[in-house]
Amino acid sequence: MAKKIIATYFISVIVGIVFFVGASFLLKSQPVCANSRTCKSDLSVSIDNNAIGVFQGQKVIPPKIDLALDILKPEFAVLGASVASSEKHIYINLETQTLYAYQGKTQVMKTLISSGKWGRTPVGNFNVWTKLRATRMAGGSGADAYDLPNVPYVMYFYRDFGLHGAYWHNNFGHTMSHGCVNMRIVDARDLYSWIDGPEKDQKGTAVSVCNKFISPNTCMQENPVN
Amino acid sequence: MTIRHQLELETISAVTLAAFIGIFLAMYNNNHRPKFITVYSIPVMQEEQVSAVSPLPTTPALPKPQIASQISSDGTKQVIMKTTYNKNNTQTYNFSTADGLGTNEQTIFSKTLDSTKTMTIPFNTWSPDNKYFFVQEQIKEGSASGIMAFKALGEPFNTGEKYFDVTDLFKKHESVNNFSEATGWASETLIIINTTAPNNAKGPSYWLEVPSKAIIQLSTEF
Repeated sequence: MAKKIIATYFISVIVGIVFFVGASFLLKSQPVCANSRTCKSDLSVSIDNNAIGVFQGQKVIPPKIDLALDILKPEFAVLGASVASSEKHIYINLETQTLYAYQGKTQVMKTLISSGKWGRTPVGNFNVWTKLRATRMAGGSGADAYDLPNVPYVMYFYRDFGLHGAYWHNNFGHTMSHGCVNMRIVDARDLYSWIDGPEKDQKGTAVSVCNKFISPNTCMQENPVN
Repeated sequence: MTIRHQLELETISAVTLAAFIGIFLAMYNNNHRPKFITVYSIPVMQEEQVSAVSPLPTTPALPKPQIASQISSDGTKQVIMKTTYNKNNTQTYNFSTADGLGTNEQTIFSKTLDSTKTMTIPFNTWSPDNKYFFVQEQIKEGSASGIMAFKALGEPFNTGEKYFDVTDLFKKHESVNNFSEATGWASETLIIINTTAPNNAKGPSYWLEVPSKAIIQLSTEF
């Protein structure tokens, strides 16, 4: 009888540990998606100037994108043009909803952003792995469903989480996204021009998502994903 | 039921319970890990040097005429605020709109305030489609005392008025929660309003639909 109880006890402990380890592995390895549609297909350039977008149950008319104009009319100032060429680094301060871009020691941009409200923005240190002039983002469910064509100036830094322009809201400085980092279109455009995508042996521009950012050498991160 | 059956039942129950505890702990561990802060270091850099910084809301403080502006998200429109400091210790705020490059300027609105109040252009002043904008009046270093919403070119609303005060409208509609701030635009026509509950805790958020002036309480807090 006593042996049986002891055996039961040990089996229970072992089963508990096995389930703990197994569930931890499954939960951790579950892919995180900011845009469930793009997670199911490849993330690629997508421009549709006739589509209608939806966000928070509201219809949105996306900006029309003409790639020819991008080449012909680069009328905006280039970030960091007057700064010596050196390492680029972007910091996102989730606490203040602010983005900082540094070129070496010089801050070349500081602006308000909108990070995850309906999904968490991953905290950690990343590199831009691809930049797209525009793509379609869709996902969510029910009242939070969204389908947004022509999302401009997309800079993915972790899976399908990216920095990009947002034309469907203007509430920067407050969380508004499903995990991505929303920016004003003008800010996203300037950052997109400045940022480096990956090249042969070189990673893209570094992106650090911080719970709290004090200075480039003090980025406080809680439970970073990497 | 024999003792053996009872033991088997207890064993199954214990193992099942252990499995649930294991899964629960794994979920807890995944979502609510004990918080410890990672501070990583990269080579020490100097204090912030600001250049090409996107403009944040500014408050004129110098005793001479000042110009502040706020560009729309797509860069095609801007609100311009010219502040004149008068001899009688008042300030006159002149608002106009223009295109992104500052041309085609159109005068919209003017207001003179005593020195206890100030006006600002919020960072999120423009609606996403650039059809509307709002400006803020506030007691110096205090909360917003007025939010005025306009059409982009100053055309009157369908009620004939050139602008309407979001705070006044909200007070007429909502008697329990107090207006706290208008943070920006949830969509092309919806201004987001945050409130304070009677016990001074954060109250619910609301949408103000500008064309209809309808106010909608939200389940989501902004």
